[in-house]
Amino acid sequence: MDEFDIVIGLEVHVQLKTKSKIFCSCSTEFESPPNTNICPVCCGYPGVLPVFNQKALELGVRVARGLGCEINPQIYFERKSYFYPDLPKNYQISQYKMPLGENGWLTLPSGKRIGIGRVHLEEDAGKLVHKKDYSLVDLNRTGIPLLEIVSKPDINSADEAFDYLTYLKLALQYIEASDCDMEKGILRCDANISLKKKGTQALGVKVELKNMNSFRGVRDALDYEAKRQAKTLEKSEKITQETRLWDETKRKTMVMRSKEEAHDYRYFPEPDLRKFSISLECKKIQENFLSKIEMPLKKREKFTKMYGLSAKDTDVLISDMWLANFFEEATTTFSDYKKMCGWLLGPFLEQVNALGASSGEVKISPANFAKVVKYFAEGKLNNLAAKKVLSLCVSTNKDIDRVIEEEGLVQVSGHQELQRFIEEALSQNPKPVQEYLGGKQQAIQFLVGQVMRKTQGKANPKVVRELLEESLKKHKGESSE
Amino acid sequence: MKDLTVLTGSEIAQGIKDGSLNEEGVLSFFKARIEKKDTSLKSFVEVYDKPLEADGSSDLGGVPIAIKDNICIKGKKITCASKILASHVSVYDATVVERLKKTGLRIVGTANMDEFAFGSSTENSCYGPTKNPWDTSRVPGGSSGGSAAAVGARLVPFALGSDTGGSIRQPACFCGVVGFKPTYGRVSRYGLVAFGSSLDQIGPLTTNFIDCAHLLNIISGYDPKDSTSDMAESVDFTGALVDDVKNIRIGIPKEYFGEGLDGQVRQAINEAIEIFKKKGVQTVQVSLPHTEYAVATYYIVASSEASSNLQRFDGIRYGARCASGNLKEVYFASRGKGLGDESKRRIFLGTHSLSSGYYDAYYARALKVRTLIRRDFDEVFRNVDVVLTPTSPTPAFKIGEKVTDPLSMYLSDIYTISANLAGLPAVSVPCGFAKGNLPIGLQLIARAFDESTLIRLGFSYQRTTDFHKRIPSV
Repeated sequence: MDEFDIVIGLEVHVQLKTKSKIFCSCSTEFESPPNTNICPVCCGYPGVLPVFNQKALELGVRVARGLGCEINPQIYFERKSYFYPDLPKNYQISQYKMPLGENGWLTLPSGKRIGIGRVHLEEDAGKLVHKKDYSLVDLNRTGIPLLEIVSKPDINSADEAFDYLTYLKLALQYIEASDCDMEKGILRCDANISLKKKGTQALGVKVELKNMNSFRGVRDALDYEAKRQAKTLEKSEKITQETRLWDETKRKTMVMRSKEEAHDYRYFPEPDLRKFSISLECKKIQENFLSKIEMPLKKREKFTKMYGLSAKDTDVLISDMWLANFFEEATTTFSDYKKMCGWLLGPFLEQVNALGASSGEVKISPANFAKVVKYFAEGKLNNLAAKKVLSLCVSTNKDIDRVIEEEGLVQVSGHQELQRFIEEALSQNPKPVQEYLGGKQQAIQFLVGQVMRKTQGKANPKVVRELLEESLKKHKGESSE
Repeated sequence: MKDLTVLTGSEIAQGIKDGSLNEEGVLSFFKARIEKKDTSLKSFVEVYDKPLEADGSSDLGGVPIAIKDNICIKGKKITCASKILASHVSVYDATVVERLKKTGLRIVGTANMDEFAFGSSTENSCYGPTKNPWDTSRVPGGSSGGSAAAVGARLVPFALGSDTGGSIRQPACFCGVVGFKPTYGRVSRYGLVAFGSSLDQIGPLTTNFIDCAHLLNIISGYDPKDSTSDMAESVDFTGALVDDVKNIRIGIPKEYFGEGLDGQVRQAINEAIEIFKKKGVQTVQVSLPHTEYAVATYYIVASSEASSNLQRFDGIRYGARCASGNLKEVYFASRGKGLGDESKRRIFLGTHSLSSGYYDAYYARALKVRTLIRRDFDEVFRNVDVVLTPTSPTPAFKIGEKVTDPLSMYLSDIYTISANLAGLPAVSVPCGFAKGNLPIGLQLIARAFDESTLIRLGFSYQRTTDFHKRIPSV
């Protein structure tokens, strides 16, 4: 294995976030009943013609520019022909010779730039549902706008491929071009991999990998395939140029088709659509949009360096642009970044998840959230009370101070106030008192709990403990006298 | 009832409007005529029990019309004269059909054609050939042979056809009627079953230029559903119905008068040129040097596009499916049995031209030659307004004469193909008769979007001649 360099290129298909399909006005809604988002155009009925959805073009330009691609001066669609029942016209309207954009790049956290060869627009095919002895066709997906993003063969390990996918996905989500949900098929990935002897220039024979259903699947398939190819080469056998399928359960790749069986797609320019150019204005609008967005990698650097957050916490924060932005806004109210991050990723997310809510349904403002964390840090709220405030405000954004007052959650730290409860607890629980005095230190925990209960959770547990220790010391003195 | 065959469609519409005719009477007159004559002609694929309802009115309101069977009509069979679509019912109206319905025209049925418009004789129809109304042993031309024969025999005052390489003009010529192919982009293709998408245009077949102008007014104009339709402002073509052609410059391309041109056709065309000259037209010899490559170029471009357009007919979602065995076998059986010989021939030709390793030598090269042919016209139109040629080298040929010799059949479109390759408007005008009462047609080609000059010339010519008024005695 060590004598080879791994050369990987990735081909990613993402669904663009449009309301309607790329060549007709059917809805792109996910999980509609089969064959309900269809019309004569996407079903390829005799006589129909495609009309290009401008929103798909705008998002395509945004992605292409976001990845630093040059936009081609004249763009056109081509027909890619192959027969399959999920492809109603038996050709796919795609781009070939003149893709939307070329020559961009994506930077990984390691600082390495992975080249983007091309970015092109195309329509999705439908879905086959295989039954025991027949198959059903669902054309809801047919005509969904896709963007194909093809990397240059700059990726040199399975882990690097994983990073590339992670950051590509984040970039597309940040610029609001795609939801990139792999489970819903909104993001799909095929890979090319070949091995070459270290120090040589000539590329090896490449194998195409398909059927990976997660980023982890891509990584595992590439790992497996790299090892398989290395073993083959070490035995002085030749690699066959072919397409292989990743089998997730067997955890290996298997031959799907050889080079000889490869399709001749017979590309030619789509005569039903005119050639077109991207207007300067369109480019400007998208570039303007992009300039206002801080991309994931930049955020990552800022979070670790400026805010001093751990890499692990940072990765969780930036994995959701909404969360990352929420965090940053909150820091303008309260600047203990680490505490804020802890509360955001801990109790806050717990509350959000408990609601079964998506980030969009969260109502609490970053400032109000920060206030809760601040009150906790200042000792105004204890842990329990702070969580309670959060639970009351996450989906309402009520005034924090008012909630605290209404619920009587202000932490009781006054010694005189507490002393009454402490005395009560000590006299009502002679057994733990004896145990503590007998040397069993942890018995005090029970007493703290008792005091907290008497104060309905409003006491500051730290102060309670101190007061208890003091009182018990006195008890000890008394009993020894 | 009055003999309506001597009236133009516009006159019939006028009669309905002023009460001298009634719409039901008109419809039953033509229905009876179809029933009587079409058993021998076979110009219709389907005649509806009742003409389709239409709301709205126009200068042609209430007049019956036939539609070539490759234009979609909601709720009606659309077969393209192919077994593979024989049972297919369209779920939507083509834009032109929508427009006809909105202007009160009454669609009476669908007209026969060569399968998927592949042919020049209407012999490649799964329903059998249509006969030429002037001589039923002869072909009506094609592929819009049903439309041309029906109008020629006055079974309807007019019809719609489609023209990819001459499919309106050549049958119009053979049947003695006016057949107009508009500029590419003038009429929406939405709902026309595609043959050669970069060449196809829907157009009218009429007996005269008044009806032609009115029908063009109705079917022309930008359609957001067709991205290749042109946004040019709509023109009132009836404005060109004036008998004044003075100083229009007509070019006579020498390449269209060479070997293979029938002597009687040549003579009729020369006589027509003399008539135009008398009317004040200026004529000048011109050259379209790439003409000899037009047929070859056309058969590569059109067949390539056709091979791709016909891929959807696979028996999976609609049309005839021969279910037998695995997926591949379903494809092979459905297409093997559902498509006719000429369709298969074009699919082979087109598929080959687009295959990797052959693309550059065939399809890509054909596109280059297409550009040269277009430039020939650009060059000529710097000096003349219109190009005049024969529509077809010969009058109608015998049924069966060329059906086993595809190449000689292809050559029958030799004069009409270039207008499609260049996207130009062109029309065939009846201009005489050969021995045996066989109509002869002349072709006029104009600059893109200058249909009006063609209408002006045609209208003026018909004011002086009566070829278009003769009715076959079928």
